[in-house]
Amino acid sequence: MSVSRRGFLHLAASPPSLSVLAARGLEAHLAEAQRSGGAGTLVPPGVDEIRISSNENPLGPGKAVLDAIVGKFPEAGRYPFNSTPGEAALTAAIAAKYKVKPENIVLGAGSQELLKNGVRAFTNPSHGLVTASPTFENCTGIAKKLGHPVAEVRVDSALRLDLEPMIAASKGAGLIFFNNPNNPTATVHGATAVADFVSRVRKVSPDTVILIDEAYHDYVTDPSYQSAIPLALETPNVFVTRTFSKAYGMAGMRIGYAIGRTETLKPLATLKMPYNVSVLGIAASISALGDPKHIDAERARNTDVRAFTVKALHDLGCTSSESQGNFLFTDIGRPAKEFREACAKQGVMVGRDFPPLEKTHVRISIGTMEEMRKATEVFRSVLKADTLPAGGRQEEAAWR
Amino acid sequence: MALTRRGFVRTVGIGAAGALTTSWIGARGREHDVWSAFEPTLHAVEPGQIVLASNENPLGPSRTVLAAVQAAFGEDGRRPGRYSGSSRELIEAIAAKQKVKPENIVLGCGSTQILRSATHLFTAKDKPLVGTIPTYEECAGYAEMMGRPVRPVALDADFKLDLNTLADAAKGAGLVFYCNPNNPTATYVGARATREFLAKVTRESPETTVLVDEAYFDYVTDPDHDTHIPVAIDNPRVIVARTFSKAYGMAGLRMGYAIGHRDTIKKMADWDGGSGTSSLNVLALHAGIAAIQQDATFTATERARNKEVRDFTMKWFADRGMKPTDAQANFLFVNIGRPAKEFREACRTKGVLVARDFPPFEKTHCRLSFGTMDEMKKAVAVFDQVLARKSTAA
Repeated sequence: MSVSRRGFLHLAASPPSLSVLAARGLEAHLAEAQRSGGAGTLVPPGVDEIRISSNENPLGPGKAVLDAIVGKFPEAGRYPFNSTPGEAALTAAIAAKYKVKPENIVLGAGSQELLKNGVRAFTNPSHGLVTASPTFENCTGIAKKLGHPVAEVRVDSALRLDLEPMIAASKGAGLIFFNNPNNPTATVHGATAVADFVSRVRKVSPDTVILIDEAYHDYVTDPSYQSAIPLALETPNVFVTRTFSKAYGMAGMRIGYAIGRTETLKPLATLKMPYNVSVLGIAASISALGDPKHIDAERARNTDVRAFTVKALHDLGCTSSESQGNFLFTDIGRPAKEFREACAKQGVMVGRDFPPLEKTHVRISIGTMEEMRKATEVFRSVLKADTLPAGGRQEEAAWR
Repeated sequence: MALTRRGFVRTVGIGAAGALTTSWIGARGREHDVWSAFEPTLHAVEPGQIVLASNENPLGPSRTVLAAVQAAFGEDGRRPGRYSGSSRELIEAIAAKQKVKPENIVLGCGSTQILRSATHLFTAKDKPLVGTIPTYEECAGYAEMMGRPVRPVALDADFKLDLNTLADAAKGAGLVFYCNPNNPTATYVGARATREFLAKVTRESPETTVLVDEAYFDYVTDPDHDTHIPVAIDNPRVIVARTFSKAYGMAGLRMGYAIGHRDTIKKMADWDGGSGTSSLNVLALHAGIAAIQQDATFTATERARNKEVRDFTMKWFADRGMKPTDAQANFLFVNIGRPAKEFREACRTKGVLVARDFPPFEKTHCRLSFGTMDEMKKAVAVFDQVLARKSTAA
């Protein structure tokens, strides 16, 4: 079923906002630029920084994992296929966690490698990417670099992935990126809705591959949610990605994985960069997988701090979408940039712009309770003081 | 579903090189990589084994580097939970060391990412990759995977890069992979000859890019030795790849880089540049900064240590009538008069791991990496026993 670029895009129910992302790169690069001072948002010298901009676990990986890393120092000179345990042992440990075979797992240098290779493997100039807007743009960015068509389906009024238009857009698509919970809007779809979505996409477009990114899985508390991993294992053309960057507190270590049927994952296994996880990362993640209670504790901690922050913002008149991640997406009624820069002056770094909602919404990651107490005080002072008169703000907006 | 690399290569578009390339690539998994999940028969290293299989520095990273890794945890041990913003700092440290500008450097998850990016960008369906047989296969493997043709070139009688043949093959090619010293044959082409080769390729085939892989640069003792970084800075069609995996002893950490003209580097960075939020881990970034800022005596000491072990091992083989090629790296390539597989399996049973097959020489030649002097003394005792037995293939 060959669909022209134009024809493909017309299938999207809402007009795809192709230009929305064009003005900036991937979240990853921007986040780094921001931290290294490239994005113009800087904490003044001498002010303590609270970094709640990148959906990281503020506590890091924990002592047992750090000990596992140090324990592998004697093998830091070995390639990851020669270390003990080696790369295959990590694949086996992940497989054991889900009671699947190693052939159902592909490792990535962070899940970003898997997202990127998913786009490379499953889209082409006539079978494009269907994604949401806003969502994590890694897939969007690589599809655009490749010149493959992208249909961005705007989230619904509750800021959830809008399933009906995504299903409609999927006809003839190469790949659907389905981020659940969705970054940056923090919303989740329950297990029944996801299963129904997958089944309907497969009816209208059986060759379309569905990538369900569950980066924030460990932070979900909604009882209607379940991982789509069992679904991926029994359904062709569906795979799930996971990462050690979020609840596992290892964003700096760059480890993720894809899980699904072997034949679905074959192109990802083919494109996998050899030795993409370091010897220290292998030891760290095997150690982390052995301590599920640590993750339960991190979920409980995040849930508490998330509830505190949602309420504090609500008390300031700002509504957040129903957050199931370690971050909030909050309507602050003013441009994120203005808010971000004002917060940065007081040491609080919040998320970057997420078009098309950058004029009204900001993404705030959940730090420690102590950090969020301080941060919400900063939010209070910033939201109370209008940094620009209303007229000036409109004028500025007109020039964007 | 058991999927082998060999099977895969048959199903993917094979380049102009046809059958020769098929066997070249198909008979191996790179080191043990893409197919590890699909080839469960591959052996894991067991503690206590002497590993002479992968051209690693047996001493690993220096204490300075390991201290930097531990410092990267941060005072509260929380920093590995953050995406790292240190790639810029590493680029600046490399720029200072190599006397280039930051705009001339792109980082990779090992040089693997660099080799893949270059192959991706500079070959096409009608612009083949040129590589020698044998050489390090990352570029050829990637080219085949992407359905780009591969134009293989034989080495000369001394197992060295044959520059005239290479220059002829380069005409109309997209990318020439120039691994010097060459893995697995360990031979080295002097700096003057390489400079002339690079100029010739640009003159005769101006659209062709040459990727000079200097992975083993620090191990060369040939007096006619120099880096080709200055050439790469001036010539947009020349790229130099470097890695922290060899003399710096950081194979497990995954860090490499390319140096070149700013326009070429920008292309590579735009396509797939490594960063702390993509492929580069925070510990490797901090390790790299510490490693490159070490006193130059670090690499000089490692070079001297390796040379002593190399001289010992080369002499051991020569004394027994098996003359290795002229090794300028941390490994040697030697005719043992029997299949590498047979030798490898016999050595394994005695606790010594040597390298995989390198077609088309797998029936006669073996690649051995250098361990410590102590390890090599134990290893040659094992070789002595294994080689004393008549080859079952003879």
